[in-house]
Amino acid sequence: MSARTTGGVFRAFLRRDFREAASYKLSFVSSVAGILLSSATFYFVAKLVPRGAPALDPFGGDYFSFAVVGVAFAGLLGMFQEGLSAVVRGAQLSGTLEALLVTPVPVPAILFGSSLYSLLFQLVRTALHLAVAAALFGLLLGRINVAGVLAVGVLTVLCFLSVGVLSASFILVYKMGNPFSWVLGTVSGLLGGVVFPVSLLPPWIRWISRLLPVTYSLDGMRKSLLASAPFTAIVPDIVALAVFVAVLLPLSLIAFRLAVRKAKRDGTLSHF
Amino acid sequence: MNASPAILAESLVKRYPVFRGFRELARHPFDRRTLTALDGLDLRVERGRVFCLLGPNGAGKTTLIKILATLVLPDGGRALVGGHDVACEAGPAKRAVGYAVGEERSFYWRLSGRQNLEFFAALYGLRGAGRDRRIGEVLELAGLGDAAGLRFNTYSTGMKQMLAFARALLADASILLVDEPTRSLDPLAADRIRTFLCGELAGRQGKTVLWATHDLGEAADHADDIAVISRGRIRLQGPAEALARGGRAALREAYERAVAETETTP
Repeated sequence: MSARTTGGVFRAFLRRDFREAASYKLSFVSSVAGILLSSATFYFVAKLVPRGAPALDPFGGDYFSFAVVGVAFAGLLGMFQEGLSAVVRGAQLSGTLEALLVTPVPVPAILFGSSLYSLLFQLVRTALHLAVAAALFGLLLGRINVAGVLAVGVLTVLCFLSVGVLSASFILVYKMGNPFSWVLGTVSGLLGGVVFPVSLLPPWIRWISRLLPVTYSLDGMRKSLLASAPFTAIVPDIVALAVFVAVLLPLSLIAFRLAVRKAKRDGTLSHF
Repeated sequence: MNASPAILAESLVKRYPVFRGFRELARHPFDRRTLTALDGLDLRVERGRVFCLLGPNGAGKTTLIKILATLVLPDGGRALVGGHDVACEAGPAKRAVGYAVGEERSFYWRLSGRQNLEFFAALYGLRGAGRDRRIGEVLELAGLGDAAGLRFNTYSTGMKQMLAFARALLADASILLVDEPTRSLDPLAADRIRTFLCGELAGRQGKTVLWATHDLGEAADHADDIAVISRGRIRLQGPAEALARGGRAALREAYERAVAETETTP
């Protein structure tokens, strides 16, 4: 496909999903209400945590800011991680997958195009989350390290999209029971440092958090946004994320190609 | 007849893996049981013909159509549409066929008919004024010009089927694959679709239509050629005027004979 055609295809997916989303009038309102409730919850929980607690030192010292950044970005990472498989599953259930697959658009472009709106919407939602937390609840942003945010952001997107492609491959073949989603979603929530610092975990379990990409993404993002950290302080997170990307990206592309082939071979591409 | 057929299948084989329960998997983890859907099927469909594929449930009709639409990969033999091998030239093969998925769930219910077509037209690479013109043409052809702005979920079953044809025609492919398009339609709506397929698409536009159906009368009255598929092979094939020379009853007799023979032979 040429770049122009690809652009047209992605625009069509965005327009389709915007039109569908706009037909559900209350969806956006409930999404904003969720942001407000989440921010308010952590605002009051933060009153229990004294400012300057040692475990929060590397991240600026304020628990509310720590938690809001964790929750806002965990939502975004979750969407990157599960958005693609959710798209495949949704198209299998709604019955549109076959109609998409008989078009000349390559399967990876269908997959990415179908999830583009959700990914962009979640990106806007994350920015809105931070803006609401700053405007209404006093989120304390430091001197933002733009290079750090960009480096951690790009590697995080690649890393979590790779996990998303692995999940989508699994869903194409096995339809349900996606282990990537369970392991990374559930375990990351507990051990990835979303609402409390990883340093509080007992040493015997802390090593598991070192195997989760979310740990490095949140660590790097918080240091860049909250702690005015120099770029050198974020390099270990960037290296770790780069290693994850180097392993997961090619693996996910190979897995996806094999999954499409197997589903076509078994005749189960559109089964659910 | 043209030497290069619209559709050609040679020794086509498709076996599906059979689902096994946990107990069975534990007992024989390395066994691989399969169900044969196509068993060395040969088929030739000439250009510009309305070709009806008859057969009992589970005979292999839908599997054949899905292979031709590149949704399922064959395990053996080969299939060509418009001269392109569906297994190794999927891109050009997809451009050669329009697959009229009868499944009403294959549309976006909260979008209008026109919005659905705008989306699919973009996937076929249509843009700008050319896209809008083509959408207008196929909507008019399908008789949905006045209903184009209505949400898909307000369409009747017949309108949904016509929109499926409109979508299949967007790219102006020369071959149309249709799987039981008159299923669950009232007699008048079914007649409109038959007339549309034979009169408009095959008659006026010269398209090749491969039409899977259970309805012997439909095949006798509208097809140029008929084939009977049973247990994964073509058991009977010929021009409709020869097979249905004695009317629907003659075709029914030939059909029953062809299907019955396969039930007694392996």
